[in-house]
Amino acid sequence: MKFFLEVWRQKNAKVQGGLVRYEVVGITPEMSILETLDVLNEQLLEKNEEPIAFDSDCREGICGMCSLVINGYPHGPEKASTSCELRMRHFKDGQTIIIEPFRAKAFPVLRDLVVDRSAFDRVMAAGGFISVNTGNAPDANSILISKKTADKAMDAAACIGCGACVAACPNAAAMLFVAAKISHLALMPQGASERDERVLNMRAQMDKEGFGHCANEYACEAACPKEIKVSHIAKLNREFLRAVFCSDK
Amino acid sequence: MDFLSRFYSSSIGRKFFVAGAGLSLCGFLILHLSGNLLIFKGPGAFNHFAKTLDSNPLILPAELILAGFFLLHIVIALIVRYHNYQARPIGYARYSVKGGRTWGSRTMTATALIVLAFLVIHLKDFRFGNRSEGVYQLVVSCLKNLYYAVFYILAMLSLSLHLSHGFQSAFQTFGLNHPKYTPAIKALGYLFALVIGLGFASIPLWIMMGWIK
Amino acid sequence: MDKMSLDSKIPAGPIQEKWDRHRFDLKLVNPANKRKFEILIVGTGLAGSSAAASLAELGYRVKVFCLQDSPRRAHSIAAQGGINAAKNYPNDGDSIWRLFYDTVKGGDFRAREANVYRLAQISSHIIDHCAALGVPFAREYGGTLANRSFGGAQVSRTFYARGQTGQQLLLGAYSALMRQVGQGSVQMFPRREMMDLIVSGGAARGIVCRNLVTGKMESYAGDAVLMCSGGYGNVFYLSTNAASCNVGATWRAHKKGAYFANPCFTQIHPTCVPVSGSHQSKLTLMSESLRNDGRVWVPKDPKDKRSPDQIPEADRDYYLERRYPSFGNLVPRDVASRAAKAMIDEGRGVGPTGLSVYLDFSDAIKRLGESSIREKYGNLFDMYYHITDENPYRVPMRIYPAVHYTMGGLWVDYNLMTTIPGLFCLGEANFSDHGANRLGASALMQGLADGYFIIPYTLGGYLAQAKLPKLDASAAEFKEAEILATEKIKKLLGIKGKKTAADFHKSLGKLMWDDCGMARNEKGLKNLLSKIPEMREEFWKNLTVTGSGEELNQALEKAGRVADYLEFAELLAKDALHREESCGGHFREEYQTPDGEAKRDDEKFSYAAAWEFTGVGKEPSLHKEPLTFDSVHLAQRNYQ
Repeated sequence: MKFFLEVWRQKNAKVQGGLVRYEVVGITPEMSILETLDVLNEQLLEKNEEPIAFDSDCREGICGMCSLVINGYPHGPEKASTSCELRMRHFKDGQTIIIEPFRAKAFPVLRDLVVDRSAFDRVMAAGGFISVNTGNAPDANSILISKKTADKAMDAAACIGCGACVAACPNAAAMLFVAAKISHLALMPQGASERDERVLNMRAQMDKEGFGHCANEYACEAACPKEIKVSHIAKLNREFLRAVFCSDK
Repeated sequence: MDFLSRFYSSSIGRKFFVAGAGLSLCGFLILHLSGNLLIFKGPGAFNHFAKTLDSNPLILPAELILAGFFLLHIVIALIVRYHNYQARPIGYARYSVKGGRTWGSRTMTATALIVLAFLVIHLKDFRFGNRSEGVYQLVVSCLKNLYYAVFYILAMLSLSLHLSHGFQSAFQTFGLNHPKYTPAIKALGYLFALVIGLGFASIPLWIMMGWIK
Repeated sequence: MDKMSLDSKIPAGPIQEKWDRHRFDLKLVNPANKRKFEILIVGTGLAGSSAAASLAELGYRVKVFCLQDSPRRAHSIAAQGGINAAKNYPNDGDSIWRLFYDTVKGGDFRAREANVYRLAQISSHIIDHCAALGVPFAREYGGTLANRSFGGAQVSRTFYARGQTGQQLLLGAYSALMRQVGQGSVQMFPRREMMDLIVSGGAARGIVCRNLVTGKMESYAGDAVLMCSGGYGNVFYLSTNAASCNVGATWRAHKKGAYFANPCFTQIHPTCVPVSGSHQSKLTLMSESLRNDGRVWVPKDPKDKRSPDQIPEADRDYYLERRYPSFGNLVPRDVASRAAKAMIDEGRGVGPTGLSVYLDFSDAIKRLGESSIREKYGNLFDMYYHITDENPYRVPMRIYPAVHYTMGGLWVDYNLMTTIPGLFCLGEANFSDHGANRLGASALMQGLADGYFIIPYTLGGYLAQAKLPKLDASAAEFKEAEILATEKIKKLLGIKGKKTAADFHKSLGKLMWDDCGMARNEKGLKNLLSKIPEMREEFWKNLTVTGSGEELNQALEKAGRVADYLEFAELLAKDALHREESCGGHFREEYQTPDGEAKRDDEKFSYAAAWEFTGVGKEPSLHKEPLTFDSVHLAQRNYQ
């Protein structure tokens, strides 16, 4: 197969970038879009041109490192898939594919398709945890959690922190990411005692990082490779209202 | 009241105000429409209703509160819009995500501005217009103008579109989303948008058709 | 060869009491003094994150470094199946002793008994702590934790969170780490690559890193350094490891004096999605739990090219069930992998390349229903479908073994300290508790045991007695190391040859897989040992890297890591050649029983082989740590 890739090239965070068109040949349907970029990069290196920088690590859809916007879709048009899982069989031979970095003020471009998502880490450091020191835990079975609750918490905890929700959101909001953690921890009895501080602090950090407001358009849900539901955002809103109006915080 | 200012300055809190004011305005729309529909009962009923309203001493405070809700809804929504604009300084060359995006949700700002423009004209002509001959006559004489009527209808369609997203969206902002009832809220939202839009638009339509004279 | 043996510092006393006694014997650091110590941690997988969190909770000042953009990306995240613990919640006969016994036996008697016993003792605490951190483990309807049987164990001792246990455990450790970052007790340095270890006054005292965004060399001084940088499976190019898994940090420490133990113990995982072409950048693991319900088979006749649904029962060979009637499809990984290879060598492999075997769920779907299979393995089936475009609910999966885990690593004593005082090594990066073969669901257990429950004690023991002069990052040692690292970067950039680092990596990987993969022999290994130095020479003459060292340059990062592999591969092959026996993941064709099973040689090789670096291309010197088995009776493994 042959493709035309229009890829965002940007030398570093300080300069402006733009789309550059490349032709790449010798692609097979079972290759992923990242492997297609690998092939293109090898071709560029052989011509002594600088390869395209992009983030990727596990290449099996779990680490959350890959972060491409492919033809206008974060992680591409396939449902429940990360960029690394997107195979070329989903494209037509000879098609033009536009590849851009995740776009948000809170995710500045470092080079080409590589963005800085440390904002997510700071949001997590603000409250995305249960304060228990090593050695303090009671026997695991002393805290009973119904299967239903555990399953629900797991649905939210499946978030891989890739940032596709932010990339997809028309307002670059991080609500789905924050909601996934809030919801996961608020559902577990272990996390309940800190739920008020958690939601207040994580919300404050989220706003500080410059993410936008949620407009309930659910583009995040559509782009989420782990299919995390916007009902968790509703839960985040409830948690927040509860913390503001019903707690001493 | 420190907690309230902190609440307001948060992204979630601001949306809460927009949603709360928006839903309150939905209540107002129902009242307004019920009154308007009296026009189909003829000039007597309609003018009598208007007079009763005008002579009620509570109307001024009610109007002030209403204006407050409008201001709250509009001003905070614009602030939110500004923040959202800032959250993505460089846009995409191509953007294709759909998800729950509808015509209604995508055009929220545009429909809001049309409705706002309408509101200004509407207040000038009807609230502060010459009501001496009776409100019925005022309405009919204004809407006999074809351009005015078409603008009125377009504005109501915009309102309808605005509500089609706004109504259900408010519930999500309040934290109400569950498979048990969310489909019903969505359906209710569309129904509400349709009834309000068609209800208001029916008056200029009837006048254009000459069914109301 | 040097015959000097190593002091593993195994405490005296009965095996059940060793850890307790040792914890009592270890000196303590006064709580008020802990904040005076600065600990550097390289890597943020299960071992690194858990160690960082636990040490910061105790009051140490901690600096943590990782290659990726966030500590949460570490490859522990990809572990699927579960984590073992001797809780015996299912009441099916498990105990600390049984977990200990299974692990020593599963490791083919090449692990240190005392370490394994301690691991089994700690296992239960790990589950308690992870549950307290909010890890959403699978639950029974009554709210208690669910267990499953995994990877050949005959008891159900594996705790899991769907098929994403590694992810959930890592995110738990990551959350504990981020809590400390928020409190200011841990400083996090992402997108940093460790270029060198600083040894001063005979002790590990710091590291030099390259900031991968700016390209600047940065020096960090500390009182101890913890290597938590994972395994070296990517030396084979194709493996289930993430792209950034590499041997760099441990290899660079090895060159500074840390012995590298048992590098030839590499684990080939039997259930991976087969290779589809030369473009492929990685192999994807399908959790071993699939073998609980899937049946492995190939056609009886090598010429049988019918589609699997057209092949009747009578013409199928369920070879694992046939060869190992009592364990069947649940034999340990090394056994299952070799059996698959044997079938393929007989020409009975299936699929377009002939390099795969079937893993068939049709019986399980008939017995339990599709929805029940979907609930258990849904995400794995989806993953398989994404990759192959085949629906495993309808046609059997095709699987093939792939490099997955490396049991070898830096040699450590009972305190997890390497041969360099002050340099500790945790998790997959150390030569560990798994001997020659790791059992399923034990890697997560070991990583977290090391980080949460062992290092907080043993590091204190070291710091309490070490006499460490003040040293800061402006010292001459650091400047020298920075200059050396910068020169290496310049050298890589200055070759301006024709071949890319990926080209070299692919060629090296193929050599390694062919001659040092699932089966090894003297001839192949000698061939390999003659080719690696040639390839290394070519690398330094004919490599091409674009760009500069003062920017984000992924081609340069890759080149540096391949340079390390080209040195390390030689050690791995040497170790494989020297170990004239078959055990666990190390299968030497010359040493097998008549029916093709691994033949161990306890007389000659009951030791851990720890290699000392003597120079690139020079003969490393061997140090042996004899392994004695007082608690578990040495026996040939038998899964028939």
